[in-house]
Amino acid sequence: MTRRRVVVFVIIGFLALGAGAAMWRSIRQPAPDPARQLGAGLRCPACQGESVADSRSPMAAAMRDVIAAQVAAGRSPEQIRDWFVQRYGPEVLATPQPRGVGLLLWVVPAIVLAGGLGLALRARRRRTRPRTPATMVDAGSRRGAERTWNLAALCLIALVVGVALAGPRLAEEQPRAAPSAAADLALARSLEQQGRYAAAVELYRDVLRRRPDDQLRLRLAFALIRAGEAPEAARVAEQVLAVRPDDPDTLLMLGLARREAGSPLARETLRRFLNRAPEHSAATEIRRLLEAEGPPR
Amino acid sequence: MNGVLRRFLWPAVALLAVGALALTLLVALRSPPDAVGEPVTVASGTTAPALTGRTLAGADFDLTALRGQIVLVNVFASWCEPCRTELPLLVDAERRWSGRGLRVVGLDVRDGPDAARALLDETGAGTLTVVADPRGDTAVSWGVRGVPESFLVDRDGRVRQRAQGAITAAWLERWLPPLLAP
Repeated sequence: MTRRRVVVFVIIGFLALGAGAAMWRSIRQPAPDPARQLGAGLRCPACQGESVADSRSPMAAAMRDVIAAQVAAGRSPEQIRDWFVQRYGPEVLATPQPRGVGLLLWVVPAIVLAGGLGLALRARRRRTRPRTPATMVDAGSRRGAERTWNLAALCLIALVVGVALAGPRLAEEQPRAAPSAAADLALARSLEQQGRYAAAVELYRDVLRRRPDDQLRLRLAFALIRAGEAPEAARVAEQVLAVRPDDPDTLLMLGLARREAGSPLARETLRRFLNRAPEHSAATEIRRLLEAEGPPR
Repeated sequence: MNGVLRRFLWPAVALLAVGALALTLLVALRSPPDAVGEPVTVASGTTAPALTGRTLAGADFDLTALRGQIVLVNVFASWCEPCRTELPLLVDAERRWSGRGLRVVGLDVRDGPDAARALLDETGAGTLTVVADPRGDTAVSWGVRGVPESFLVDRDGRVRQRAQGAITAAWLERWLPPLLAP
């Protein structure tokens, strides 16, 4: 019996510690990047359930650029939000305004929560009421167990509240792990979308110097192909292939680069890619490409 | 009687609460309109936002210079598949109704000029006036939700209809003639 109680207290202790740690982290966080915060508060209009900050859709990227430009111009978060509401309507806000139907979204869950709590308390009170003299005998030990349960329930509630408070901020911390690299990569992708491949290539090279990464090398290779530097792209892809032999993505990039550079090895590389990954998302396109070119000369 | 009431009161309250929650979620999580089929058309009446910039042909463009004409502003991009089917329709529309004062202007969003030109040539829309919006900020200032999206601007420079999704010949037949009537 005592050992069981020790175990219960240890578990409660861990829960309380977790709740405390979560709370502390949530309070300790410094103010995050205002542009990102604004983006997180706006709903991406082209997506389902994604914020402007998280979405990879081009319209969301454009909205992020607009937010960044307005923040840089010194406009307040309130002004920027209003600007978007004027253009996209109030539904662009991720958190509904407490007005009209939006008010219902705030009030109904609160009422349901309060109702549920009330019912739970009621049910508990009824159960604790001793009914027969027989149950009175072990009332003492039962009261002890109940106290433990109450404590555990309180700790659980504290943990949930702590996580709810800390969660969104903890999620925001991730992209800030390597701030300049992440920002540079976003900029490089934006440049690629604008068709400024040479500038994107420079940026990728710069990031690679600081943070060598094979996936990033493949993106550099792709940007090089589009910048019209296919032989250089093939060289980069070959380097990656040396480290990751038979990797489908690398074979694909190398094949495309060789094809663009007019290398006779291109067909064979693309065939190798198809053999390695017949289900790859680019496989159909490559198959079509190879068939369109006809049988090997 | 009292016992029966007490027995059924709380389950009824709980059921009501769950029902209200479900209804609220249903209202909140209404799925956005389907992109396939007829475009979602929203009537408007606001003054058209500014649309200035450089066309793919290299000329300066300003929408306010087209006051007095009906302008169909079509937001598209070469990376958007439905836009491909829509472009020939736009060329036809301009050819058919230009005598009655229709102008069609494309807004090419977050795109490379070469990719856009290639798409226009492929779809036979090389004659279309297309304003480049490489960063997409003009599209955002128009409240564009996704591509393709089209706006009908009347002779006074007010947005009369906006269509989310690819427009069709039937859509043009329905909304254009009333605006074109002098």
